[in-house]
Amino acid sequence: MRLTRRDFLLASAALAAGASVSTPFFLPKCRSDRRPNRSRVAVLHAEQYCQQLGRILAEGLELFPLKLQGKTVVLKPNLVDYLPADIINTHPLLVLAAAEAFRRLGAKSVLVAEGPGHQRDTQLVLSQSGYQELLRGEKIRFVDLNRDELIRTPLRTSYTGMRELWLPRTVLEADFLVSMPKIKTHHWSGVTLAMKNMFGIVPGARYGWPKNILHWKGIQESILDLCATVPIHFVIADGVIAMEGNGPLNGTPRPLRNIVLADDAVAADAVCAALMGFAPDRIVHIREGGRFLGNSDQRHIDQVGEAIVHPTTPFRVVPEFRNLCAL
Amino acid sequence: MALTDLLAELIRRQFPCGGWSALSSSAQPALEPTSYSALVLRSRVRAAGERAYSFLLGAQNPNGSWPVFAGDDRDGSWVTSLVSIALRDLVPAMPARVKGIRWLLRTVGKEAHWFWKWKFRTSDRHVRFDPDKFGWPWFPDTVSWVVPSALAILALNQLSRSCCEFELIPSRVERGVEMLRDRACPGGGWNAGNGVVYGAAVAPHPDDTAIALLALHDRPNDPVVRSAVAYLERTGPTLTAPWSLAWTILALAAHHRPIILLREALLAIPDLLCIADTSTLALVCLALDHERSLTDLGVPR
Repeated sequence: MRLTRRDFLLASAALAAGASVSTPFFLPKCRSDRRPNRSRVAVLHAEQYCQQLGRILAEGLELFPLKLQGKTVVLKPNLVDYLPADIINTHPLLVLAAAEAFRRLGAKSVLVAEGPGHQRDTQLVLSQSGYQELLRGEKIRFVDLNRDELIRTPLRTSYTGMRELWLPRTVLEADFLVSMPKIKTHHWSGVTLAMKNMFGIVPGARYGWPKNILHWKGIQESILDLCATVPIHFVIADGVIAMEGNGPLNGTPRPLRNIVLADDAVAADAVCAALMGFAPDRIVHIREGGRFLGNSDQRHIDQVGEAIVHPTTPFRVVPEFRNLCAL
Repeated sequence: MALTDLLAELIRRQFPCGGWSALSSSAQPALEPTSYSALVLRSRVRAAGERAYSFLLGAQNPNGSWPVFAGDDRDGSWVTSLVSIALRDLVPAMPARVKGIRWLLRTVGKEAHWFWKWKFRTSDRHVRFDPDKFGWPWFPDTVSWVVPSALAILALNQLSRSCCEFELIPSRVERGVEMLRDRACPGGGWNAGNGVVYGAAVAPHPDDTAIALLALHDRPNDPVVRSAVAYLERTGPTLTAPWSLAWTILALAAHHRPIILLREALLAIPDLLCIADTSTLALVCLALDHERSLTDLGVPR
């Protein structure tokens, strides 16, 4: 086959274009390896949302050497919107149980903070999803991260190409940030777990509803930049009733009957992905996060509590993410 | 609870610089709460209103836009429309307002660009919308969304169209209206931006719907508008959150629907004075005095 000058030029142009699109993601973007030597993940069994969650969670937290005396704890649940038959948000009873548990462990203060990604009326989401009454009853302060005071924050990695973001003071000044995602599928990112849950700290007042800039800069890339910049100290993932299908808003309930605790967000997400029947290394932000941010490799994760039960049928996903299934 | 108590609380929260922060716990003056508060106080508490206007004028970016908060980057944002509305009828603010309107006319949703139009038509079709119908983004270099587009339409409609400098206004407004109609939810009303994603209808939001209806107040016979009004009339009585309830009152009043029961429901919400979000506090004041507020928002009665 003869290669003409025209073919050569076209092929070169195509190669250059392809490289310009794909290469940036594969170049190293992290300046330092912040993976702990070992990570710990506990899978707890919880049949339903009930008052017993407090006991289950307290026992689960005993599996971790937490030192919270005098610390400010910020619980970051996943509160996206309110829809009837609410399965899209982290259940308020789990958040309440976490707040009580951390108070008992000596935290100076425990507050709940979130910036819903779709609904501008945060108070409507709180009241309709049952949060408002529970938080008020237990005198737990809530901070709307969509409208909190903002601090210009340089990003510690450069997956998105953004150099900085305006981020809420409440989160940046937290001594102990707990990501509390709902375990569910997501039609743009495959899954929404502890790392993706951090989209909620990006302020809507500054970046819009939804936080559109993160979509344009790349969802997987944005997750990595956010998690590298704002450390997640602990994870409590709500998988009692998880969600599959067309998440984050229009999926269907999938009882998983698990709560996942972890001292490493990457490890938590890897275990949650496995519980959903997915191969963690096929989820870009988990795989890439496992290179510098936390441990996604099971050999570096101490699994405590219940054993991981791989489902016989993986969580349903939109067609673009069928490759995630481990089976 | 009386309007005077809420006004007193609003004044108490004003910073010496004339601005208000978004949350009562914050010390960072922001433009959205300041715009609503300025609208509330403009004719009721003159001194506080004048300090607010002074803050708004001082915060303008060199390019004519307004930032989200004091100290923000200078590229501009969606609050430019709100500030332009708040500065309405203020003669000394006219040059600043004109600069703001010029910025709004230059700003388009990213889908207006041929490349993104082509992408949304060919490869990125999970969100159902017509990229030919574009409005305004939350901030530059992103796509159009319902709230910034509706606020921009309200702001542009307040200017005299006879001025040749603004000959683009009618076509931009019409394009924005087309965009709003295109993005409506199948069952009536509006969500943040799209009615159908991955083949599933997205649920409408009362506040987004109300703001869009204010922008479309002059099109009561449009089927999309009628359907949205019906959604808001169904949803209004179920609302317990002051932000959504206040917007709903303003929108239904603009469309000449009864709002007495909704007003009573708003007044019955406990602890209105303790609302942390200052924009909500100011909106409650606007809703409780809706006749005057609609005029201030540029919605003729």
